[in-house]
Amino acid sequence: MLDFTEASLKKVLTRYNVALEKAMTPEDAAEELYPKDKLIYPIAKAIFEGEEDDVIDGLQAAMDAGKNPIALIDDALMVGMGVVTRLYDEGVIFLPNVMMSADAMLNGIEFCKENSETAPVNKGTIVCHVAEGDVHDIGKNIVTALLRANGYNVVDLGRDVPVDEVIAAVVANKPIMLTGTALMTTTMYAFKEVNDKLVEKGIKIPFACGGGAVNQDFVSQYALGVYGEEAADAPKIADAIVAGTGDITALREKFHKH
Amino acid sequence: MAAKRYTSMAYASADEMTFGVSKYPVKAGLDLEIGAGYTIPEVNYAPRPEAGASKEKLVKEYERITTDIMARMVQVGFPAVILETEHVQQMSNNPSWGAEVAHAQKTIMEEYHDEYGIKCALRHTIGDIREDRDFLQLRGDKYSVFLEAFEECAKAGADLLSVESMGGKEVFDYSVLRNDIGGMLYAIGCLGSIDMEMIWTDIAAIAKKTGTVAAGDTDCAQANTAMFIAGGLLDKNLAHTLAILARAISAPRSLVAYEAGAVGPGKDCGYENVIIKAITGMPMTQEGKTSTCAHSDVMGNLIMQCCDCWSNESVEYHGEFGGTTVQCWSETLAYDCALMNTALETKNDKILRDLLMLSDRYRDPQSYVLAYDNAYKVGQAIVKDGDNIYLRAKNAAVECCNIVSEGAAGKLSLSRFETKALADAKASLDALPDDMDKFMDDCVTKYKSEVKVFLPENYGL
Repeated sequence: MLDFTEASLKKVLTRYNVALEKAMTPEDAAEELYPKDKLIYPIAKAIFEGEEDDVIDGLQAAMDAGKNPIALIDDALMVGMGVVTRLYDEGVIFLPNVMMSADAMLNGIEFCKENSETAPVNKGTIVCHVAEGDVHDIGKNIVTALLRANGYNVVDLGRDVPVDEVIAAVVANKPIMLTGTALMTTTMYAFKEVNDKLVEKGIKIPFACGGGAVNQDFVSQYALGVYGEEAADAPKIADAIVAGTGDITALREKFHKH
Repeated sequence: MAAKRYTSMAYASADEMTFGVSKYPVKAGLDLEIGAGYTIPEVNYAPRPEAGASKEKLVKEYERITTDIMARMVQVGFPAVILETEHVQQMSNNPSWGAEVAHAQKTIMEEYHDEYGIKCALRHTIGDIREDRDFLQLRGDKYSVFLEAFEECAKAGADLLSVESMGGKEVFDYSVLRNDIGGMLYAIGCLGSIDMEMIWTDIAAIAKKTGTVAAGDTDCAQANTAMFIAGGLLDKNLAHTLAILARAISAPRSLVAYEAGAVGPGKDCGYENVIIKAITGMPMTQEGKTSTCAHSDVMGNLIMQCCDCWSNESVEYHGEFGGTTVQCWSETLAYDCALMNTALETKNDKILRDLLMLSDRYRDPQSYVLAYDNAYKVGQAIVKDGDNIYLRAKNAAVECCNIVSEGAAGKLSLSRFETKALADAKASLDALPDDMDKFMDDCVTKYKSEVKVFLPENYGL
C-alpha cells in the first residue's frame, strides 16, 4: 500500500490544531481564573468540572456560613460559569464541557431559589424556537444552554413551533431577542413569516437565525433577521444588544461575516 | 423476517475492495446495474424554500431539476446517472405528494432513456416523520403514514428506497454533548439497531411487493451530527476522536438494514458505508469533495476510495454561472466517475484508490479510521460478535480506539485534547459490562431519568 514519508506528508497537509495547541492545560487555565474566596472557590471549580453534587455541597456550605442564596447565583455560580465560557471562547475547552457545566449551574440556581424567597435578576429574556415543520433541535439546545450559561433567562418554545405561537410568546415575554433555528431549506421559510407578523405588530426586536441550511443571504432578506453562523454567536449577539446595539443594521454589521 | 446477522466478512482482505465493483451488484431502474464494474454519479438536490408552498409548485420544481440533470448528462456524454430525491417533510407526511413527484421525475427520466439510451434510476429517500413536537413516536400513528410513503413512491416510479432513520437520536443528542460514550453506544448501537430492524423488515417487504430495491439507511441523525459538531480542525465543539467513535458505532447500526433485507446501494451520507461494504459486499454510495456544497468534511478524496455511486449530498436548486446548481454538480460528479471508470478499464483502479485514500489518510482521526484497510479491521471486530447488537457495537468502538492509538504512534498527529478524549472514551468503554442485558437495564434506568424526551416504549422496552 502507498504511504508517505514524514517529509512528504508535510507537503500534503498541516494539522493546524496540533501545531497551534496552547501549552497550558484547561485545568491550569481555569485555576488561574477561579475566585480566591475560600467559600466561592469550590463552587466555581465544581461548575467548571460539571460536578452537580459538589456544586450543591459548595452552595450549602456557603449558605451555612451566612451567604445570601440569591447573591450566590451571581457571586459564585455565574463566576464559575464565566470561567467556563471564557475558556470556551478562547478555544481552551470544548462544547461538551460547557454543556455539563451549564447543567451543574442550572441545578445550582434551582437550589439557590429553593432556599430563598426573592427571585434572581438576569441579563434579559430571550425566546428560542425551532422553525415550524422542523424537528431538528440539537442546535437550539446548544443555543439555549449557551444563553443560560451567559446569564440570560431563556423561554424555550421547543421544536416545530407554529408561527403564531412564536408571536404570542414574544408578545407575552417581551424578550430582548428572538432566536430561530432550522435544518431544512423548506422549513426556514417560516422565519420570514415570523418576521412579517412581528413587523406587522410593530415589534422590532432582533431575530437571530441559524442552523443547517440557513445562510446569511436568506436571513438578510427579512427586516429583523440577524444571521448567526455558530451557536456561540447567540450569547454574543445578546451581549451586544444589552450593551446598547439594538439596531438590526448595526448587529448585521458586527455579526454578518460574509 | 428476523434479521440475518453477519458473522463473517464478504471480502477476504481489505485490498480486494475498490470503487465501482461490489460482490453483489444491484440491478435497478432503467438498465442500471450498480457495483457491476463502473461507478455512477448520484445527484441529490433540495427545492428552493418557496417551492414547498403547494404540491403543484413542488412537483414543478422537481420536474425542472430532473430535466436539468438529464439534459446535462446527455450534453456531456455520460452513460449513467442516479437521481436522489430526499423528501421534504410535506412529501412524506402526504404520501400522495411524494408519489406525484416520483411519477413526474420518472416520466422525464424514461423520456431521456427512450431517446438517448442513458442508464438511470431514481432513489426516493423518505423523511423519517415518526415524531411529534415533543417526542419521537417511532411506533405510533405516523408509522403507517411513513410506510405508506415508501409504498406510494415505489408504485409511482421510485426505483431505490432509502431513509435516514432517527432511532436513538433523543439519547444520542443528550450524550454527545456530554462526552458520554456509553450513552452514544446505547443510542446508536442498541436503540438505533432495534428500530432499524423493525423498519427495514417492513421496507424490504414493500420493495419486494413493488419490484423495487430496498437500498439502505445512513446514521445521518447521529454519526453525521457528531461529525458536523466536530467540524474542522480548529472548531472547539467536539473532539474528532469522539466523532469517529460515533461513526464506528454507527456501522453495526446501519448494517441492520442489510440484515433485514436491504441490498444497497447504501445512502450517500453514510460515511460508515466503507465498513459495511467490507462486511456485506453490497454496493455503496459515498460523498466527499463533491458534497462541499452541503457541508465540509475532512476526507473529501479518501471517502471515494471504494464507492460504487458518487454523490454531492444535497444542493439547493438555483442558478450559477455554469447553469443550475444540479447541472454544475451532476457534471462534476460524472467527471469524477469518468476518471474512476477509466482507472477500472485500464486496470489502474487500485492505484487511484490508494492515491485517493493516502491524500487524506493522516488529515484527521476520522479519515484515518475510514481508510479502507482500517475500516476493514472495524468490520472484523463487528462480525466477531455479529449476533449481539451491543457487543458488536462495543467491539467497533474499542477497535476504533485501538486503530487511532496505533496511528498516533506513527504519522497520525493528534492534539492533546483529542488524545485525552480518546483515553477517557477508552476508559469508559473498558468499564462497560460484557453482558448486554445488564447494559440495557442500566441504560434504560439512567436515560429515562436524565433525558426527558426518551420513551423506552419506542423501542419495545
